[in-house]
Amino acid sequence: MDSMLFTERSIWTMIHGTALGGGALMALAASLFSLRAMRTEGASSATSRNQARYLSWLMVSTAVLLWLTVIVGTYATFPPYRATPPDGLTDLTQYPRFLIQSKPGTVWLHAFAMEIKEHTPWIAAMLSTAAAFIGVRYRAQLLSDAQLNRMATALLAICFVLVSVVALLGVFINKVAPLQ
Amino acid sequence: MATIEGKPAAATNGAALASFLAAGIGAFAVGFVVILNEAGLFSAPALYAPAGGVSGRTTLAAVIWLLGWAVLHNRWKNREIESRRVYIISLILIGSGILLTFPPVWSLV
Repeated sequence: MDSMLFTERSIWTMIHGTALGGGALMALAASLFSLRAMRTEGASSATSRNQARYLSWLMVSTAVLLWLTVIVGTYATFPPYRATPPDGLTDLTQYPRFLIQSKPGTVWLHAFAMEIKEHTPWIAAMLSTAAAFIGVRYRAQLLSDAQLNRMATALLAICFVLVSVVALLGVFINKVAPLQ
Repeated sequence: MATIEGKPAAATNGAALASFLAAGIGAFAVGFVVILNEAGLFSAPALYAPAGGVSGRTTLAAVIWLLGWAVLHNRWKNREIESRRVYIISLILIGSGILLTFPPVWSLV
């Protein structure tokens, strides 16, 4: 429809990258900060138990947001990205993959950036799920047990780096060949 | 793996380490399935044709991750596990999995 401000494809891209992916990145940063900043030495107090309760729910939310980002990315935004244009079509703006591959300067955006985006986020989702599990199962000890805290921090730190890189690559792709 | 039996389940670290190692197995599974595909040795069937092979590869890796987690959790949930070795193995698996999803690595196979 000509009067629509955004197409359905564009809306799914925004849901994937901005709402879910952006939300997951913020939740990851908040979880990481909280895990380190709210650590306590020795036995946990009533205050730290309360903080751990909120933190465990934040970690669960992070994992849920990441899984939604990954699933929407794979099943809603990737198919139109990789759709094949009809023979002879010269305007490739509706076919981002082929648009990117039609110019030597942007070929890397598919061969490198999108190839990473296809798989690496699934690893991030698995890692964040493990961290969320630790957060929920060991809620009472999460802030006072150094080993558990270190494990959850390591998982989320790796996750944060992966999601940041993937998000940046997504921005590059969307700037050059947005789903319209 | 050295274990200490006899502690209450909530106080043992087994379930945490099971989830940590399973995350490593899942990460490595993603990379391994991708590299097998790139080497032409195994191609997971597409589960959703419009998304192509990535739907099969990632679903297969997720199934391996969940199965691995279920087995490890079942075996370790009430145990105290020596964490250092599990920690190192998990980080190696995670690092390897990430590396194998890195396109420049594919040209080496």
